[in-house]
Amino acid sequence: MSRLATTLGKAVPAVVFGAAFLGFWEWAVRFFELKPYFLTAPSSIWQQFTANFDLIRGAATVSGTNALIGLVAGTVFGVAMSFVLSRFRILNQLITPLAIALNAIPIFVLVAVLNNMYSITSEIPRRIMVTLVVYFIVLVNVARGLTQVSPTHVELMRSYAASDVAILRKVRIPNAVPFLFTALKIAAPAAVITAFVSEYFGGSQNGLGSRISSNIANSKNAAAWAYVLAACLLGLLFYTVSVVMESLNRKGGANQ
Amino acid sequence: MTAVSVRNVSKVFNQGQSNQVDALSDVALEVKQGEFVSLIGPSGCGKSTLLRLIANLLEPTAGEVVVNGKTAAQARLDQDYGMAFQQAGLFDWRTVRKNIELPLELKGWDKVNRMARADEMLQLVQLPEFGDHYPWQLSGGMQQRIAIARALAAHPPLLLMDEPFGALDEMTREYMQGELLRICAATGTTVVFVTHSIPEAVYLSNRVVVMSPRPGRITKLIEVSLGAERSEDTRNRTSFFEAITAVREGLRGMHAAHVGLGNDDR
Repeated sequence: MSRLATTLGKAVPAVVFGAAFLGFWEWAVRFFELKPYFLTAPSSIWQQFTANFDLIRGAATVSGTNALIGLVAGTVFGVAMSFVLSRFRILNQLITPLAIALNAIPIFVLVAVLNNMYSITSEIPRRIMVTLVVYFIVLVNVARGLTQVSPTHVELMRSYAASDVAILRKVRIPNAVPFLFTALKIAAPAAVITAFVSEYFGGSQNGLGSRISSNIANSKNAAAWAYVLAACLLGLLFYTVSVVMESLNRKGGANQ
Repeated sequence: MTAVSVRNVSKVFNQGQSNQVDALSDVALEVKQGEFVSLIGPSGCGKSTLLRLIANLLEPTAGEVVVNGKTAAQARLDQDYGMAFQQAGLFDWRTVRKNIELPLELKGWDKVNRMARADEMLQLVQLPEFGDHYPWQLSGGMQQRIAIARALAAHPPLLLMDEPFGALDEMTREYMQGELLRICAATGTTVVFVTHSIPEAVYLSNRVVVMSPRPGRITKLIEVSLGAERSEDTRNRTSFFEAITAVREGLRGMHAAHVGLGNDDR
Protein backbone atom coordinates (compact mmCIF):
# COMPACT_ATOMS: atom_id res chain seq x y z
CA MET A 1 0.00 0.00 0.00
CA SER A 2 2.72 2.44 0.97
CA ARG A 3 4.71 1.37 -2.10
CA LEU A 4 1.68 2.19 -4.23
CA ALA A 5 1.48 5.56 -2.50
CA THR A 6 5.12 6.35 -3.29
CA THR A 7 4.64 5.30 -6.90
CA LEU A 8 1.61 7.56 -7.18
CA GLY A 9 3.51 10.32 -5.41
CA LYS A 10 6.26 10.10 -8.01
CA ALA A 11 3.64 10.44 -10.74
CA VAL A 12 2.21 13.70 -9.35
CA PRO A 13 4.64 16.13 -11.08
CA ALA A 14 4.13 14.43 -14.45
CA VAL A 15 0.32 14.50 -14.06
CA VAL A 16 0.35 18.16 -13.04
CA PHE A 17 2.59 19.03 -15.99
CA GLY A 18 0.38 17.09 -18.42
CA ALA A 19 -2.77 18.78 -17.12
CA ALA A 20 -1.12 22.21 -17.38
CA PHE A 21 -0.05 21.42 -20.96
CA LEU A 22 -3.64 20.44 -21.92
CA GLY A 23 -4.97 23.54 -20.19
CA PHE A 24 -2.56 25.78 -22.10
CA TRP A 25 -3.46 24.05 -25.38
CA GLU A 26 -7.19 24.55 -24.74
CA TRP A 27 -6.64 28.16 -23.71
CA ALA A 28 -4.45 28.94 -26.73
CA VAL A 29 -7.00 27.52 -29.19
CA ARG A 30 -9.79 29.63 -27.65
CA PHE A 31 -7.81 32.80 -27.02
CA PHE A 32 -6.24 32.99 -30.52
CA GLU A 33 -9.42 31.60 -32.09
CA LEU A 34 -7.40 28.94 -33.93
CA LYS A 35 -9.34 27.25 -36.72
CA PRO A 36 -9.99 23.51 -36.21
CA TYR A 37 -8.06 22.59 -39.40
CA PHE A 38 -5.01 24.30 -37.88
CA LEU A 39 -5.24 23.01 -34.32
CA THR A 40 -8.14 21.33 -32.57
CA ALA A 41 -8.91 21.94 -28.92
CA PRO A 42 -8.50 19.02 -26.48
CA SER A 43 -12.15 19.40 -25.46
CA SER A 44 -13.41 18.79 -29.00
CA ILE A 45 -10.98 15.86 -29.43
CA TRP A 46 -12.38 14.35 -26.25
CA GLN A 47 -15.91 15.01 -27.42
CA GLN A 48 -15.17 13.17 -30.69
CA PHE A 49 -13.45 10.39 -28.77
CA THR A 50 -16.47 9.70 -26.57
CA ALA A 51 -19.02 10.22 -29.40
CA ASN A 52 -17.24 7.74 -31.69
CA PHE A 53 -16.04 5.42 -28.97
CA ASP A 54 -17.49 2.23 -30.47
CA LEU A 55 -15.95 2.95 -33.91
CA ILE A 56 -12.63 3.84 -32.31
CA ARG A 57 -12.64 0.70 -30.19
CA GLY A 58 -13.35 -1.37 -33.31
CA ALA A 59 -10.47 0.24 -35.19
CA ALA A 60 -8.16 -0.12 -32.19
CA THR A 61 -9.07 -3.81 -31.95
CA VAL A 62 -8.11 -4.34 -35.61
CA SER A 63 -4.75 -2.52 -35.30
CA GLY A 64 -4.11 -3.96 -31.85
CA THR A 65 -4.76 -7.51 -33.05
CA ASN A 66 -2.36 -7.03 -35.96
CA ALA A 67 0.26 -5.64 -33.61
CA LEU A 68 -0.21 -8.44 -31.07
CA ILE A 69 -0.09 -11.27 -33.60
CA GLY A 70 3.00 -9.74 -35.23
CA LEU A 71 4.61 -9.22 -31.82
CA VAL A 72 4.07 -12.83 -30.76
CA ALA A 73 5.12 -14.29 -34.12
CA GLY A 74 8.18 -12.00 -34.36
CA THR A 75 9.24 -12.92 -30.81
CA VAL A 76 8.86 -16.66 -31.45
CA PHE A 77 10.83 -16.53 -34.72
CA GLY A 78 13.40 -14.13 -33.29
CA VAL A 79 14.09 -16.32 -30.25
CA ALA A 80 14.24 -19.47 -32.40
CA MET A 81 16.66 -17.87 -34.86
CA SER A 82 18.87 -16.46 -32.10
CA PHE A 83 19.37 -20.03 -30.79
CA VAL A 84 20.33 -21.23 -34.26
CA LEU A 85 22.70 -18.28 -34.76
CA SER A 86 24.41 -18.65 -31.39
CA ARG A 87 24.86 -22.40 -32.00
CA PHE A 88 26.25 -22.10 -35.52
CA ARG A 89 28.57 -19.10 -35.65
CA ILE A 90 29.09 -19.56 -39.39
CA LEU A 91 25.40 -18.78 -39.99
CA ASN A 92 25.89 -15.60 -38.02
CA GLN A 93 28.54 -14.51 -40.49
CA LEU A 94 26.27 -15.40 -43.42
CA ILE A 95 23.14 -13.75 -42.09
CA THR A 96 24.50 -10.55 -40.53
CA PRO A 97 25.25 -8.86 -43.91
CA LEU A 98 21.77 -9.80 -45.11
CA ALA A 99 20.23 -8.30 -41.95
CA ILE A 100 22.21 -5.09 -42.47
CA ALA A 101 21.07 -4.94 -46.11
CA LEU A 102 17.45 -5.47 -45.02
CA ASN A 103 17.83 -2.71 -42.47
CA ALA A 104 18.97 -0.33 -45.19
CA ILE A 105 15.59 -0.67 -46.95
CA PRO A 106 13.02 1.83 -45.68
CA ILE A 107 11.28 -1.19 -44.28
CA PHE A 108 7.69 -0.01 -44.76
CA VAL A 109 7.94 -0.17 -48.53
CA LEU A 110 7.84 -3.92 -48.00
CA VAL A 111 4.16 -3.54 -47.07
CA ALA A 112 3.39 -2.35 -50.59
CA VAL A 113 5.15 -5.43 -51.97
CA LEU A 114 3.39 -7.70 -49.49
CA ASN A 115 0.03 -6.13 -50.38
CA ASN A 116 0.57 -7.32 -53.94
CA MET A 117 1.41 -10.81 -52.77
CA TYR A 118 -1.80 -11.20 -50.79
CA SER A 119 -5.38 -10.09 -51.38
CA ILE A 120 -5.75 -6.35 -50.79
CA THR A 121 -8.33 -6.88 -48.06
CA SER A 122 -6.07 -9.26 -46.16
CA GLU A 123 -4.57 -8.35 -42.79
CA ILE A 124 -1.69 -10.75 -43.43
CA PRO A 125 0.70 -8.20 -45.06
CA ARG A 126 0.39 -5.91 -42.02
CA ARG A 127 0.98 -8.78 -39.63
CA ILE A 128 3.99 -9.94 -41.61
CA MET A 129 5.32 -6.38 -41.51
CA VAL A 130 5.01 -6.21 -37.70
CA THR A 131 6.53 -9.69 -37.43
CA LEU A 132 9.57 -8.59 -39.45
CA VAL A 133 10.18 -5.47 -37.37
CA VAL A 134 9.81 -7.37 -34.06
CA TYR A 135 11.84 -10.31 -35.36
CA PHE A 136 14.99 -8.26 -35.90
CA ILE A 137 14.77 -6.46 -32.56
CA VAL A 138 14.32 -9.76 -30.68
CA LEU A 139 16.92 -11.62 -32.75
CA VAL A 140 19.68 -9.07 -32.19
CA ASN A 141 19.07 -8.73 -28.44
CA VAL A 142 18.54 -12.38 -27.55
CA ALA A 143 21.49 -13.52 -29.68
CA ARG A 144 23.62 -11.06 -27.70
CA GLY A 145 22.28 -12.46 -24.43
CA LEU A 146 23.06 -16.02 -25.49
CA THR A 147 26.63 -15.28 -26.61
CA GLN A 148 27.82 -12.51 -24.28
CA VAL A 149 28.14 -14.67 -21.20
CA SER A 150 30.79 -14.08 -18.57
CA PRO A 151 34.05 -15.93 -19.47
CA THR A 152 34.34 -16.91 -15.81
CA HIS A 153 30.94 -18.65 -16.00
CA VAL A 154 32.01 -20.61 -19.07
CA GLU A 155 35.32 -21.67 -17.49
CA LEU A 156 33.50 -22.63 -14.33
CA MET A 157 31.04 -24.82 -16.24
CA ARG A 158 33.88 -26.44 -18.17
CA SER A 159 35.65 -27.16 -14.87
CA TYR A 160 32.48 -29.05 -13.90
CA ALA A 161 32.77 -30.98 -17.18
CA ALA A 162 29.33 -29.60 -18.10
CA SER A 163 27.98 -30.47 -21.56
CA ASP A 164 27.10 -27.80 -24.15
CA VAL A 165 23.43 -28.47 -23.44
CA ALA A 166 23.96 -27.92 -19.70
CA ILE A 167 25.86 -24.68 -20.40
CA LEU A 168 22.99 -23.56 -22.64
CA ARG A 169 20.34 -24.37 -20.04
CA LYS A 170 22.12 -23.13 -16.94
CA VAL A 171 24.15 -20.20 -18.27
CA ARG A 172 23.21 -18.98 -21.74
CA ILE A 173 19.41 -19.05 -21.50
CA PRO A 174 19.15 -17.44 -18.02
CA ASN A 175 21.68 -14.85 -19.19
CA ALA A 176 19.51 -14.06 -22.25
CA VAL A 177 16.23 -13.61 -20.34
CA PRO A 178 16.80 -9.95 -19.34
CA PHE A 179 17.88 -9.27 -22.95
CA LEU A 180 14.56 -10.73 -24.15
CA PHE A 181 12.58 -8.40 -21.90
CA THR A 182 14.62 -5.40 -23.01
CA ALA A 183 13.86 -6.41 -26.61
CA LEU A 184 10.15 -6.68 -25.82
CA LYS A 185 10.15 -3.23 -24.23
CA ILE A 186 11.49 -1.82 -27.51
CA ALA A 187 9.48 -4.14 -29.76
CA ALA A 188 6.03 -3.69 -28.16
CA PRO A 189 5.57 0.02 -29.03
CA ALA A 190 7.37 -0.57 -32.36
CA ALA A 191 4.80 -3.29 -33.16
CA VAL A 192 1.92 -0.86 -32.60
CA ILE A 193 3.55 1.88 -34.69
CA THR A 194 4.30 -0.60 -37.48
CA ALA A 195 0.69 -1.83 -37.43
CA PHE A 196 -0.58 1.78 -37.89
CA VAL A 197 1.88 2.78 -40.57
CA SER A 198 1.25 -0.42 -42.52
CA GLU A 199 -2.34 0.75 -42.94
CA TYR A 200 -1.21 3.80 -44.93
CA PHE A 201 -0.28 1.60 -47.89
CA GLY A 202 -3.85 0.67 -48.83
CA GLY A 203 -5.94 -2.33 -47.94
CA SER A 204 -9.03 -2.42 -45.73
CA GLN A 205 -9.97 0.92 -44.12
CA ASN A 206 -10.59 -0.67 -40.74
CA GLY A 207 -7.67 0.16 -38.47
CA LEU A 208 -6.60 3.26 -36.53
CA GLY A 209 -4.00 4.28 -39.12
CA SER A 210 -6.42 4.25 -42.05
CA ARG A 211 -9.09 6.04 -40.00
CA ILE A 212 -6.63 8.81 -39.15
CA SER A 213 -5.73 9.38 -42.80
CA SER A 214 -9.35 9.16 -44.05
CA ASN A 215 -10.57 11.63 -41.38
CA ILE A 216 -7.82 14.07 -42.30
CA ALA A 217 -8.72 13.66 -45.98
CA ASN A 218 -12.30 14.63 -45.07
CA SER A 219 -11.14 17.61 -42.97
CA LYS A 220 -12.56 15.99 -39.84
CA ASN A 221 -9.55 17.00 -37.79
CA ALA A 222 -11.04 16.53 -34.34
CA ALA A 223 -12.08 12.98 -35.28
CA ALA A 224 -8.59 12.30 -36.67
CA TRP A 225 -7.11 13.52 -33.39
CA ALA A 226 -9.48 11.24 -31.49
CA TYR A 227 -8.00 8.28 -33.41
CA VAL A 228 -4.49 9.59 -32.70
CA LEU A 229 -5.41 9.59 -29.01
CA ALA A 230 -6.56 5.97 -29.32
CA ALA A 231 -3.31 5.07 -31.13
CA CYS A 232 -1.35 6.68 -28.30
CA LEU A 233 -3.34 4.75 -25.67
CA LEU A 234 -2.84 1.46 -27.55
CA GLY A 235 0.93 2.05 -27.76
CA LEU A 236 1.01 2.86 -24.03
CA LEU A 237 -0.96 -0.31 -23.25
CA PHE A 238 1.55 -2.47 -25.12
CA TYR A 239 4.50 -0.72 -23.48
CA THR A 240 2.98 -1.00 -19.99
CA VAL A 241 2.33 -4.72 -20.40
CA SER A 242 5.95 -5.28 -21.48
CA VAL A 243 7.25 -3.28 -18.49
CA VAL A 244 5.02 -5.20 -16.07
CA MET A 245 6.21 -8.51 -17.53
CA GLU A 246 9.81 -7.41 -17.07
CA SER A 247 9.32 -6.38 -13.46
CA LEU A 248 7.52 -9.66 -12.67
CA ASN A 249 10.49 -11.55 -14.10
CA ARG A 250 12.86 -9.44 -12.07
CA LYS A 251 10.96 -10.09 -8.88
CA GLY A 252 11.13 -13.84 -9.55
CA GLY A 253 14.87 -13.70 -10.07
CA ALA A 254 17.73 -11.41 -10.51
CA ASN A 255 19.39 -8.13 -11.20
CA GLN A 256 19.89 -4.83 -9.52
CA MET B 1 50.54 -39.32 -1.72
CA THR B 2 50.76 -36.88 -4.62
CA ALA B 3 47.74 -34.72 -5.35
CA VAL B 4 49.09 -33.03 -8.47
CA SER B 5 51.99 -34.08 -10.60
CA VAL B 6 53.11 -31.84 -13.44
CA ARG B 7 55.69 -33.70 -15.53
CA ASN B 8 57.93 -31.72 -17.90
CA VAL B 9 55.02 -29.74 -19.23
CA SER B 10 55.32 -27.13 -21.97
CA LYS B 11 52.57 -24.99 -23.40
CA VAL B 12 52.84 -23.04 -26.63
CA PHE B 13 50.03 -20.83 -27.90
CA ASN B 14 49.60 -20.21 -31.64
CA GLN B 15 52.36 -22.67 -32.46
CA GLY B 16 54.09 -22.00 -35.76
CA GLN B 17 52.41 -18.66 -36.23
CA SER B 18 53.98 -15.21 -36.10
CA ASN B 19 52.32 -14.56 -32.72
CA GLN B 20 53.63 -17.75 -31.12
CA VAL B 21 53.89 -17.53 -27.32
CA ASP B 22 55.90 -19.94 -25.20
CA ALA B 23 53.67 -19.75 -22.16
CA LEU B 24 55.36 -22.55 -20.24
CA SER B 25 58.64 -24.31 -20.84
CA ASP B 26 59.53 -27.66 -19.28
CA VAL B 27 57.72 -27.18 -15.97
CA ALA B 28 57.79 -29.88 -13.30
CA LEU B 29 55.92 -29.66 -10.01
CA GLU B 30 54.69 -32.13 -7.39
CA VAL B 31 52.00 -31.11 -4.91
CA LYS B 32 51.47 -33.38 -1.91
CA GLN B 33 48.06 -34.25 -0.48
CA GLY B 34 46.92 -31.57 1.93
CA GLU B 35 49.63 -29.15 0.84
CA PHE B 36 48.99 -25.47 0.15
CA VAL B 37 51.09 -24.30 -2.82
CA SER B 38 51.10 -20.77 -4.25
CA LEU B 39 52.21 -19.83 -7.75
CA ILE B 40 53.66 -16.34 -7.88
CA GLY B 41 55.36 -14.32 -10.57
CA PRO B 42 55.03 -11.31 -12.84
CA SER B 43 52.37 -11.06 -15.55
CA GLY B 44 53.05 -13.42 -18.42
CA CYS B 45 54.99 -15.96 -16.32
CA GLY B 46 52.38 -18.59 -17.08
CA LYS B 47 51.03 -19.11 -13.55
CA SER B 48 47.40 -18.94 -14.69
CA THR B 49 48.26 -21.15 -17.65
CA LEU B 50 49.78 -23.71 -15.29
CA LEU B 51 46.64 -23.64 -13.14
CA ARG B 52 44.45 -24.16 -16.23
CA LEU B 53 46.62 -27.08 -17.34
CA ILE B 54 46.09 -28.73 -13.96
CA ALA B 55 42.36 -27.99 -14.33
CA ASN B 56 42.41 -29.43 -17.87
CA LEU B 57 40.87 -26.23 -19.18
CA LEU B 58 43.96 -26.21 -21.42
CA GLU B 59 45.88 -29.13 -22.93
CA PRO B 60 49.69 -29.20 -22.63
CA THR B 61 51.76 -29.04 -25.81
CA ALA B 62 54.24 -31.47 -24.28
CA GLY B 63 54.50 -33.45 -21.04
CA GLU B 64 51.67 -34.70 -18.86
CA VAL B 65 49.59 -33.64 -15.88
CA VAL B 66 48.38 -36.17 -13.33
CA VAL B 67 45.70 -35.17 -10.81
CA ASN B 68 44.64 -37.50 -8.03
CA GLY B 69 46.41 -40.39 -9.77
CA LYS B 70 44.44 -39.90 -13.02
CA THR B 71 44.95 -37.91 -16.19
CA ALA B 72 43.90 -34.28 -15.81
CA ALA B 73 41.07 -34.88 -18.30
CA GLN B 74 39.66 -37.77 -16.26
CA ALA B 75 40.02 -35.76 -13.05
CA ARG B 76 37.96 -32.97 -14.59
CA LEU B 77 35.27 -35.39 -15.74
CA ASP B 78 35.16 -36.83 -12.21
CA GLN B 79 34.99 -33.30 -10.71
CA ASP B 80 38.06 -34.11 -8.61
CA TYR B 81 38.74 -30.42 -8.13
CA GLY B 82 36.85 -27.23 -7.40
CA MET B 83 37.82 -23.91 -8.88
CA ALA B 84 37.56 -20.26 -7.83
CA PHE B 85 38.42 -17.20 -9.88
CA GLN B 86 39.16 -13.52 -9.32
CA GLN B 87 35.54 -12.79 -10.19
CA ALA B 88 33.36 -14.70 -7.76
CA GLY B 89 31.42 -15.72 -10.86
CA LEU B 90 28.16 -16.33 -9.01
CA PHE B 91 25.01 -16.52 -11.11
CA ASP B 92 22.84 -13.45 -10.50
CA TRP B 93 19.66 -15.33 -11.32
CA ARG B 94 20.27 -18.02 -8.70
CA THR B 95 20.01 -17.64 -4.96
CA VAL B 96 23.18 -18.18 -2.93
CA ARG B 97 21.97 -21.67 -2.05
CA LYS B 98 21.24 -22.53 -5.69
CA ASN B 99 24.69 -21.26 -6.64
CA ILE B 100 26.32 -23.64 -4.17
CA GLU B 101 24.12 -26.48 -5.44
CA LEU B 102 25.15 -26.00 -9.09
CA PRO B 103 28.06 -28.48 -9.20
CA LEU B 104 25.87 -31.01 -7.38
CA GLU B 105 23.05 -30.51 -9.90
CA LEU B 106 25.52 -31.24 -12.69
CA LYS B 107 26.58 -34.39 -10.86
CA GLY B 108 22.92 -35.46 -10.73
CA TRP B 109 22.38 -35.27 -6.97
CA ASP B 110 18.78 -35.28 -5.79
CA LYS B 111 17.17 -32.30 -4.13
CA VAL B 112 17.31 -33.50 -0.52
CA ASN B 113 21.04 -34.26 -0.63
CA ARG B 114 21.76 -31.01 -2.45
CA MET B 115 19.97 -28.98 0.20
CA ALA B 116 21.73 -30.78 3.04
CA ARG B 117 25.13 -30.18 1.43
CA ALA B 118 24.35 -26.52 0.70
CA ASP B 119 23.47 -26.06 4.39
CA GLU B 120 26.73 -27.71 5.38
CA MET B 121 28.74 -25.45 3.05
CA LEU B 122 26.94 -22.31 4.25
CA GLN B 123 27.92 -23.30 7.80
CA LEU B 124 31.50 -23.90 6.68
CA VAL B 125 31.88 -20.37 5.24
CA GLN B 126 29.90 -18.98 8.18
CA LEU B 127 27.11 -17.44 6.15
CA PRO B 128 24.20 -19.74 7.13
CA GLU B 129 21.59 -16.96 7.12
CA PHE B 130 22.30 -15.86 3.53
CA GLY B 131 21.12 -18.97 1.64
CA ASP B 132 18.05 -17.33 0.19
CA HIS B 133 19.71 -14.03 -0.74
CA TYR B 134 20.77 -13.20 -4.26
CA PRO B 135 24.50 -12.71 -4.93
CA TRP B 136 24.17 -8.98 -5.69
CA GLN B 137 22.81 -8.48 -2.18
CA LEU B 138 26.16 -9.59 -0.71
CA SER B 139 29.47 -7.75 -0.33
CA GLY B 140 32.49 -8.70 -2.45
CA GLY B 141 34.09 -10.71 0.35
CA MET B 142 30.86 -12.59 1.07
CA GLN B 143 30.44 -13.38 -2.62
CA GLN B 144 33.96 -14.81 -2.70
CA ARG B 145 33.19 -16.97 0.35
CA ILE B 146 30.13 -18.32 -1.47
CA ALA B 147 32.32 -19.01 -4.51
CA ILE B 148 34.65 -21.04 -2.26
CA ALA B 149 31.64 -22.85 -0.77
CA ARG B 150 30.53 -23.70 -4.31
CA ALA B 151 34.01 -24.87 -5.29
CA LEU B 152 34.10 -27.20 -2.28
CA ALA B 153 30.45 -28.32 -2.42
CA ALA B 154 31.19 -31.69 -3.99
CA HIS B 155 33.99 -32.24 -1.43
CA PRO B 156 36.74 -32.33 -4.05
CA PRO B 157 40.19 -33.23 -2.70
CA LEU B 158 41.76 -30.34 -4.63
CA LEU B 159 40.98 -26.63 -4.82
CA LEU B 160 42.38 -24.52 -7.68
CA MET B 161 42.27 -20.75 -7.13
CA ASP B 162 43.18 -18.02 -9.60
CA GLU B 163 43.80 -14.76 -7.70
CA PRO B 164 40.54 -15.23 -5.79
CA PHE B 165 41.15 -12.27 -3.48
CA GLY B 166 42.67 -9.99 -6.13
CA ALA B 167 39.60 -7.77 -6.35
CA LEU B 168 39.13 -7.34 -2.59
CA ASP B 169 40.36 -4.52 -0.37
CA GLU B 170 43.29 -5.19 1.93
CA MET B 171 41.26 -5.66 5.14
CA THR B 172 38.80 -8.07 3.56
CA ARG B 173 41.68 -9.80 1.84
CA GLU B 174 43.49 -10.61 5.09
CA TYR B 175 40.26 -11.76 6.67
CA MET B 176 39.58 -14.02 3.67
CA GLN B 177 43.07 -15.51 3.90
CA GLY B 178 42.37 -16.52 7.49
CA GLU B 179 39.01 -17.94 6.45
CA LEU B 180 40.57 -19.95 3.63
CA LEU B 181 43.17 -21.49 5.96
CA ARG B 182 40.46 -22.36 8.47
CA ILE B 183 38.30 -23.98 5.76
CA CYS B 184 41.24 -25.93 4.31
CA ALA B 185 42.23 -27.16 7.76
CA ALA B 186 38.65 -28.26 8.40
CA THR B 187 38.32 -30.10 5.08
CA GLY B 188 41.91 -31.28 4.48
CA THR B 189 41.78 -29.86 0.97
CA THR B 190 44.92 -29.53 -1.17
CA VAL B 191 45.20 -26.05 -2.68
CA VAL B 192 47.02 -24.62 -5.68
CA PHE B 193 46.74 -20.84 -5.44
CA VAL B 194 47.74 -18.22 -8.01
CA THR B 195 48.52 -14.76 -6.65
CA HIS B 196 50.36 -11.49 -7.31
CA SER B 197 50.82 -10.76 -3.63
CA ILE B 198 53.98 -11.87 -1.83
CA PRO B 199 52.58 -11.58 1.74
CA GLU B 200 49.49 -13.48 0.66
CA ALA B 201 51.56 -16.30 -0.86
CA VAL B 202 53.74 -16.54 2.24
CA TYR B 203 50.91 -16.36 4.76
CA LEU B 204 48.88 -19.09 3.08
CA SER B 205 51.44 -21.52 1.72
CA ASN B 206 53.55 -24.48 2.71
CA ARG B 207 55.50 -23.85 -0.46
CA VAL B 208 55.76 -20.86 -2.80
CA VAL B 209 56.53 -21.54 -6.45
CA VAL B 210 58.32 -18.56 -7.99
CA MET B 211 57.91 -18.27 -11.74
CA SER B 212 59.43 -16.01 -14.38
CA PRO B 213 58.33 -15.08 -17.89
CA ARG B 214 59.56 -15.50 -21.50
CA PRO B 215 59.37 -18.43 -21.50
CA GLY B 216 57.23 -19.16 -18.43
CA ARG B 217 59.14 -21.44 -16.08
CA ILE B 218 59.67 -22.25 -12.42
CA THR B 219 62.77 -20.50 -11.08
CA LYS B 220 62.52 -21.30 -7.41
CA LEU B 221 60.65 -23.42 -4.88
CA ILE B 222 60.58 -21.82 -1.45
CA GLU B 223 59.53 -23.77 1.65
CA VAL B 224 57.63 -21.62 4.12
CA SER B 225 58.08 -23.00 7.62
CA LEU B 226 55.55 -20.99 9.56
CA GLY B 227 53.92 -24.10 10.96
CA ALA B 228 50.44 -25.43 10.44
CA GLU B 229 48.65 -23.07 12.79
CA ARG B 230 48.68 -19.52 11.47
CA SER B 231 46.92 -16.52 12.93
CA GLU B 232 47.00 -12.75 12.64
CA ASP B 233 50.04 -13.01 14.96
CA THR B 234 51.92 -14.86 12.24
CA ARG B 235 52.01 -11.69 10.17
CA ASN B 236 54.17 -9.98 12.81
CA ARG B 237 56.75 -12.70 13.19
CA THR B 238 60.32 -12.36 12.00
CA SER B 239 60.07 -15.64 10.13
CA PHE B 240 57.14 -14.22 8.16
CA PHE B 241 59.23 -11.25 7.03
CA GLU B 242 62.18 -13.48 6.23
CA ALA B 243 59.99 -15.61 4.01
CA ILE B 244 58.68 -12.51 2.29
CA THR B 245 62.25 -11.39 1.63
CA ALA B 246 63.14 -14.82 0.28
CA VAL B 247 60.23 -14.77 -2.16
CA ARG B 248 61.00 -11.19 -3.19
CA GLU B 249 64.61 -12.08 -3.90
CA GLY B 250 63.46 -15.12 -5.82
CA LEU B 251 61.24 -12.87 -7.92
CA ARG B 252 64.12 -10.50 -8.59
CA GLY B 253 66.12 -13.48 -9.78
CA MET B 254 68.70 -12.71 -7.11
CA HIS B 255 70.73 -15.39 -5.51
CA ALA B 256 68.66 -16.02 -2.43
CA ALA B 257 71.48 -17.57 -0.46
CA HIS B 258 69.64 -19.06 2.40
CA VAL B 259 66.09 -19.06 3.52
CA GLY B 260 66.48 -18.88 7.25
CA LEU B 261 63.11 -20.05 8.38
CA GLY B 262 61.79 -22.63 10.70
CA ASN B 263 63.66 -21.92 13.93
CA ASP B 264 61.29 -19.64 15.76
CA ASP B 265 58.07 -21.53 15.17
CA ARG B 266 56.09 -21.36 18.39
